[in-house]
Formats: sequence, structure tokens, C-alpha cells
Amino acid sequence: MQAVKRFINRMRSKSPWLLHFDCGSCNGCDIEILACLTPVYDVERFGIINVGNPFHADVLLVSGTVNHRNKKVLTNLHAQMPSPKLVVAIGACGLSGGIFREAYNVVGGIHKVLPVDVYVPGCPPKPEAIIDGVVLGLQKLQRLHEQPSVEKEA
Amino acid sequence: MTRTAILIACGLIAGPILGGLVSGMDRILTARMQSRIGPPLLQPFYDVAKLLFKESLVVNVWQVFCAYCYIAASSIALVLFFLQSDLLLILFVQAVGAVMLVVGALSSTSPYSHIGAHRELLQILSYEPLLVLVVVGFYLETGSFKLTSIYAWREPLLLKLPFLFIVLGYVLTIKLRKSPFDLSTCHHAHQELVKGLLTDYSGPFLALTEIAHWFEVILLLGICSLFWATNWFGMAILLVATYFLEVLVDNITSRMNWRWMLSYVWGVGLTLSLVNLIWLHQG
Amino acid sequence: MDMRAVLIALLVLAPLIGAVLCTFLRTQAVRSAIVLATGAILVVSAAFLVPLTPFKLSLASVFGLDLHRIVQVADFILLLIILYYGFKHRHLAIIALGLFQVAMLVTLEFFLVSGPTVYERVNCDQLSLMMVLIISIVGSIICYQAIPYMREHEHHYQVAPSRQPRFFFVMLLFLGAMNGLVLFNDLTVIYFFFEVTTLCSFLLIGHDRTTIATQNALRALWMNSAGGAAFILGILAVYRETGTLELQNILLPGLAGSGIYLLALALLCVAAFIKSAQFPFQSWLLGAMVAPTPVSALLHSSTMVKVGIYLVLRLAPGFAGTFLSQSVAVFGAFSFLAGAALAVGQSNGKKVLAYSTISNLGLIFACAGINTAESMIAAMLLLMFHAVIKALLFLSVGAIEQRIASRDIEDMRGLYAVMPVTALITVTGVVMMIMPPFGVLLSKWMAMEAAARNLYVIIMIALASALTVMYWARWAGTLMSDPFAGRFRPERQPVLTWLALGPLCAGGAALSVFAPWLYMGLIQPVLSGSYTASYILKAGVLENAYGAFAILPMCAVALLGLVVAVVALKRAFKSRIVPAYMSGLQTGQPFFFQGPMNQPVKAEARNYYLDSIFGEKRLTDWVNLGGGILLTLILGGAL
Repeated sequence: MQAVKRFINRMRSKSPWLLHFDCGSCNGCDIEILACLTPVYDVERFGIINVGNPFHADVLLVSGTVNHRNKKVLTNLHAQMPSPKLVVAIGACGLSGGIFREAYNVVGGIHKVLPVDVYVPGCPPKPEAIIDGVVLGLQKLQRLHEQPSVEKEA
Repeated sequence: MTRTAILIACGLIAGPILGGLVSGMDRILTARMQSRIGPPLLQPFYDVAKLLFKESLVVNVWQVFCAYCYIAASSIALVLFFLQSDLLLILFVQAVGAVMLVVGALSSTSPYSHIGAHRELLQILSYEPLLVLVVVGFYLETGSFKLTSIYAWREPLLLKLPFLFIVLGYVLTIKLRKSPFDLSTCHHAHQELVKGLLTDYSGPFLALTEIAHWFEVILLLGICSLFWATNWFGMAILLVATYFLEVLVDNITSRMNWRWMLSYVWGVGLTLSLVNLIWLHQG
Repeated sequence: MDMRAVLIALLVLAPLIGAVLCTFLRTQAVRSAIVLATGAILVVSAAFLVPLTPFKLSLASVFGLDLHRIVQVADFILLLIILYYGFKHRHLAIIALGLFQVAMLVTLEFFLVSGPTVYERVNCDQLSLMMVLIISIVGSIICYQAIPYMREHEHHYQVAPSRQPRFFFVMLLFLGAMNGLVLFNDLTVIYFFFEVTTLCSFLLIGHDRTTIATQNALRALWMNSAGGAAFILGILAVYRETGTLELQNILLPGLAGSGIYLLALALLCVAAFIKSAQFPFQSWLLGAMVAPTPVSALLHSSTMVKVGIYLVLRLAPGFAGTFLSQSVAVFGAFSFLAGAALAVGQSNGKKVLAYSTISNLGLIFACAGINTAESMIAAMLLLMFHAVIKALLFLSVGAIEQRIASRDIEDMRGLYAVMPVTALITVTGVVMMIMPPFGVLLSKWMAMEAAARNLYVIIMIALASALTVMYWARWAGTLMSDPFAGRFRPERQPVLTWLALGPLCAGGAALSVFAPWLYMGLIQPVLSGSYTASYILKAGVLENAYGAFAILPMCAVALLGLVVAVVALKRAFKSRIVPAYMSGLQTGQPFFFQGPMNQPVKAEARNYYLDSIFGEKRLTDWVNLGGGILLTLILGGAL
């Protein structure tokens, strides 16, 4: 049983599919995220695929600040992801609202709406940092699943 | 009796294993053509294993039913192929799977699913007649629809059916969801389609459709192998060359629309088939 | 009295008596009882006919009167009725064709024929038996469903006084005439029943008495009168060549070389094509859609259009190996293709069914034209399966139409939520039309393998069957297109509707399983006279020298697959149910997303009907032209 569980966990960490959602960022972070897919970084080496659809995704990458208009979209997308799932907040805006945090329509960082697993700081973060963030998230996922008591919570 | 059982088991095992390997090779090859390194060879198996153990989210329970029908039909088709059954019958069984996948996508209420489903129907419309004509070509040359007789034919069929092999190439491109015919669902069309046909299949059910697709790929490669069935070496070269060409075409062409697909595939495919069939008929 | 004669009399006359009773006893309950009883008599008589087949009867007289004389008189009365309608509506074509037929009939009966020409008036072989079973069982089921349907229909349109007596009079008469047509061997009797079906269809199509109904009914009448004219002309020519009016005896080998003889057969074929609404004569059958749905079901499945098929199947051995046979094959394949293409362009459910009927009949004609043992088997199997499944689909669409007040496929989106059982039955019907191991596909497989040596035919068949898959799959998917609706709650329908839909659905599936035995019991004996070498049944696999269709193993595996899928379906109810993907803007309400100002907006995704390619406006003229050319080819080539 334990072996099967470990096997499943390994498979999960070997094939994280990303859903990238831009909550109204300045596109700086988004360009860095997409740079990960280019031959220079080639995230497909790690089995990472950028999918366009929450039903297929394991990791939700969110860039930009959450505002009152798009927070519903964000939670909707998150609800449509089958668990186990991760949320990775990208960039200064995703972490805290960044330079927009005082704006009248802004809710703030991603954590105000969703349970964030990994924060990747930077304005924008480098592609290496983003890949590192995803990998950290996967390690967290594995840790959670190896401790059965925490699993339910997750 | 035991032979039948062994062949059935072979079909059921070979489909997913070979199919997954072919898919892995495909991804590596594609990556290399784009000067990337690409995923490990076993990546498709990791993906499917992960999907199988994800939470099952359901949009419409009929979609689950359809996913199971799809994998049932495509695995039966491959088993029938291993049992050396009637080729036309195999095509019909394979078509059941394709249709059920479409019906499943239509049973969702998402417009993306619907668009993908209708495009898939148009793809079926494009390749199905050609596939039948390829089989008719086999019959005209060997006098039989049964795989036993076709495999036992004394000379490579490619020499007599060269145009029909090209036609089969078109079918293969559509079936493998390769550019320029990856209209109904593909990894690269997020902006346009989300994931088209497969948008609302998720978790284990997506894994089922993926495995079913592997069955189909192996079936089609099996049909390709009929063109050079006299020795293993020739068959292997033909299959590798064909698949390499498919990946190449995928990487050097862009996605086209269905109007172009229908007119082009029917126009070129029917002409080539007709020429080859007349040739066989008179010969 | 001879048991066989009694059964024939019951099959032909019981509906007539029922019909007359319907007109005189005008209460609803009595009428329902009469229809039910007539149907029961038909089914039982047909069942009794099974062990007695094959047989031939002279049947010179009925109740002491000379049968020939009765038919003669009835023929003239019938033509006078048709002429009456022609004059009433001032329709020149009907009058001209009616007068022409009268003239021909006079020529035939009083100048040409001398002495007794027919010795065996009744010829009931397995093909007749198959037709009788289809007519009696499927026809009766349709009449049963018509009882609740017509009640609702008249209630909806507020028809008073009720016109149901007239309706059921014609419906029952139709069944009797059909039985007569397939049982008799005498061409003049067949001609008589041929004309009765023409008149019946005219009356049924015009039943609602709206302008469009009358118009379409008249179109059906003149077209089928043209068919009748071709038929009587064909009889004249056949009699001149062979000196006999027995359907069995005109198919003498050795005659095929004679030009007039082939022309006669070609004329009979043309009459058959008109009855079966092949291109370019499809418009009468499409116009027939205005009638209440049971009428469409009757015309499309068990009666009327099957007359043409029956005739051509009977005549096929007579023209085997001739150019006529070739051209019939091409003509049929063309109809198959054109019908399928036009069906793709339709969003009106009944029109899709209509074109699919024309298309399937085309395939049957193509098989008859290919004229080998395999193709004839395919034709007969398809005839049977098509009758059952098409009746099922028409009745389902009728039931759906009465509930949702539309016959458009777009309006049936998510029908599963409204009428789950009917939706499921309809989907099953669709599945039986396009998927193995069901019978329609079995016969399609046989047809393809038989046609493989005929290039034009096989290319058209290949294209058409892909088109067929397209329009059926689209419809099936649309019916199921509804989100999770909680518990399965069957809708309410009249008992007779369930009694019609249930048996047809189960029957279609059961027939598919028993197809090998049907083939050996019913089809092989018919063919053994004229054709050689065909399939053998080995361990549930139908096999011949170059092909094999594993019917029983496939049925078993399909059943297994179905069980697994259903179990999965049940388990899926326990999964987390989420709304479909709407770019993260789903509202929880199907088809709607959250638009500006938080207002729900409907996401419109219609089916592809490819109007610019397969639209009626675009294709009809070309298709008629093609049909016309091929028809000229048939007639000209026969000369």
C-alpha cells in the first residue's frame, strides 16, 4: 500500500501540468513564465506542460494582483481543478498586490482568495525562480502525502 | 483456444505499452526538432499514471460512460487486429470509439467542447472514406478483407498501392492529431480551443481517453505495417520512416481550418485513391 | 377451408374490416379497441404464417366471386377516385396520369389479355413473409402509438368534430393493402394494391387539411400516379414479352437479352424508385412531413417506401448481369450519398430522418443492383433493420415533438433532463443505426464488401457512410447535452407510447443478435434459387471466402463493455460534479456565463450543419439533376 502511494506521488511529481492565470499583471511575469517553455529552459524536461484548462491542471500559476472583478474567476478556476492541486503566486503583485495594492479595486495578494502553497518573489521573477517555485511546490505536495494525517486537510 | 487467448492478451498489453512508447518517442523527437531536450521517454506513462489517481471531476456523468465506451471500442479494435479479423469490421469498431468520444464531448455544455466535438466529426468525415478506400485497395489486390490473407500476401503491397499509402498518411496525420489537422484538440491551441474535444474530460477519464488513443495509434500503425508485410526489417523501416515523417510534418506546418481540411483531404485523397484503385482494377 | 387461404384473407381483409368499423363506430374507446384488435389479429396471423411458408395458392375466387373480376372492378373504382381528387383540386398532372392509367388498364384487360393468365395468384415465400412480419408487427405498433398521439394532436389543434375515424380508416387500410401487395403474385393485383397505397398516402398526408398539407398531398399523389403509370406500362410490356402476369414467372432466365423485356423491368424499377422517393422524386416524401408523426413513421418504415424495395428485390434476378443492373447500383449509391449529404445540412429532426430514409433505401437499391448473393443478403437485412429502427426513431421524435413543441435538433439540446427515457431510447436508436454489432452496420458491412469491386459504387458508399456517422453522432450528442440532473426520474407518457417505443427498441437490439439465424431462416432460402455461394455461420461468426463478421462474439463483448460503462456511470454519480469550463466565468447554470454587470449571458454553440456545403438550397437542384441523369441512363441503357 505504502509502495503504491509512493509510486503515485512520484508520478505526480514527474508530471506537473500548469495552468497559468494572469490576474491583470503588467505581463512582465507572464513573459517570464512563457520563457520557461522556450528551448533555453525547456520545462518539458521535467514533464511540465502548460495546459489551458483547469480540468487538466495540477498547478495553478497566478501572476498579478487580485481585484474585485477577477477574484471570482480565480476561485472558479481553482474549484475546477481536480485535487491534489497547488497554487503558486508569481511576482510582487501576486505576493502582496505590489505597486497596485492601494488601488481602490484591488483585493491584494493571491493568498487573500486562495490557499497559496509557494510564493515566488521578484518583479518579475526569473524563469529559474519560477521553475524552482514549482519544484518546491511539488516537494510540499509529496511531504503532505507522506503524512497521512495532513492529507485530509490538503 | 490458447492461441486466441494469448493474442487477445497481446493486443490488450501491446496497445498501451507500445502506444505509450511511441508517444514518448514522438515527444522527444518533436523536442529535438525544436532544439529542446524534451521529456523522458516514459513521460506519457507518468502523465497517465498521475491522471488515473487524480480526483474525478465530472461535468456530465454521460461523459464518463462515453470515455469507457471509447476505450472499450479502441481496445476491441486492436484485439481484433491481433486476432487477424476482418479489416473492414475493425474500422467499424474503431469508428465506434471515435464517435463515442465526440458524443461525450457534446454531452458537456461548454462551447469549447462543442467546437472541438464538431471539428472532430469533420475530421472523421474527412478520413473515414479514405480509410475504407485503403481497405478496398487491399481487397482488390489480395482478394480478401481478412488480415490473415493480407499478411500472407506474397509481395509488399506498397509496390501496388503506393498512392493509397500516401492516402493512409493523411489519415494517420488526422488520427494522430498532428498539424495541419490538429483542429479538434491539441496541446498548442489554448487561445482558440482550450483543449477542444477533451476540455471537459478530466483526471482518470482523461487518462482513459489517452490510453484509448494509444490503442488507436497502434492500430493505425498496424494498418501501415500491412504495406510491407513480407519481412520484419522492411516493415520496421516503413513504420519508422512513416512516423518520422508524421512528426516532421507536425513541426513544419501550421494548423489549418476545417474547410481547407475537408476540401484538401477529400480532393487529394479521393483523387489518389481513385487513381490507385483504377490501376488495381484494370491490372 | 385451407388454413393458408384463411391467413391470407385475415392479413388483407381484417384491416379493411377494422377500417370500415372505425368509420362507423365513432367513439374513442371503441375505436381504440378496434385498432388494438386489428393489430393483434395481424400479428397473430403473421406469426401463424411462419411455419407454413413457403407456399403457393391459386386462390381463383373469394366468397364465390372471381378474384380477377373483383380486382378489375376495384381497380377502375380506385382510378376514378384518384381522378375525382384530380378534378376536385384541378390538378392537371393527376388527371392526365389518371386517364393514362385508365386507358392502359383498358388496353391490358380488354384487348391484350385473353384467357386466364395467372395460375398461382398467391406466392408466399420467405421474402413475402419477412415483409408481412414487418408490416404487421411494426405497422401495428405504429397504429397503437397513433391512438394517444392523435388524441393529443386533435386536442392541441382543437379539431372538432374529430377526424380520427377517417385517419384510422386509412391507416388500417394501408396495412391491409401492403400485406396484399407482398403476398400476391398476380401483377394486376399488385398494381391494384400499389394504387391503394398511393391513395392512402395521399389521404394521410393531406389529413390536417391545411394549405401546405393539401399541396404536399397533391404532390405525393401526382408523383406516385406517375409511378403507377410507369408500373402499368411496365406490366403491358412484360406481358407482351413473356405472355404471363405472374411475378415469379416473368423472371425467366434467357430473356435478359431482349430490349423490350429489360425496358419493362426498367419501367417497373422506375415505379419502385418513385414509391421509395429516390432522387429526383424525393420531394413527395419530404412533403409528407406535414402529416401527423405516426403517418411519417408508417410511410418511412414499414409501408409505402418499402414497396419499391420489395419490387426491385423481386425483379433483381431478372436483370442480373445486365447494364440495367449496373446502372441501378450506381443510381442507388448516388441516392445513398445525396441523401446522406442533405441530411448533414438539416437541423430539423424529421427532415434528417426523412433524408436518412431516402439514403438508406438508396443503399438497398445499390445492393439490389450489385446483384450478388452477398449484396442481396445485405439488402434484405438492411430492409428489416431499417424498418424497425426508423419506426422507433420517428415515434420517438413524435413523442418529443408533442412535449417540447419543436422538431428542431437544436431545441432538443439537453432533452435528457426533460424526458430521460425517451432521450435514451432515441439515442439507442441512433446507436443502432451507426454502430457495430447492430444489424444496420452488419448489412452496411456486407454491402461494402459486396460493392468493393464496383469502383463508383464503393466510393459513393464510403463517402456516404462517413456522412451518415456525422449526422447521427451529432444528434445523439445533442440529446445528452445536459449537466448532471440529480436522480433519474422517468417522464410520464401514455402507456401505448411506451408499448410502442419499448418493443421497437428491444426488438431492434434482439434482431441484431439473431441476425445470423434470420439470415439462414429467411434470406438464404429466397436466394438459393437465383444466387450461389455466400456466408456460413461458424461459432457465431458470419464468414465467407473474403470476409468475416463476428456477430455473436461482438455482441458478447459489446454487452460486457456496456456493463462496465454502466457501472462506471453509476460510480460517476458519486464524483464531484462541477459546471463545464466557461473560462472561469461559469454561473452554475448550464450554458450561461457571468457577463458584464454580473449578468448571466448565454454561450451559444450550435451544431455544425455546414449549410454552405450541404444545405438544401445549394444541393437540391444538383442532386435532382444527377438523379435525373442516372434515371435516363437506366431507361436508355435498357433499350
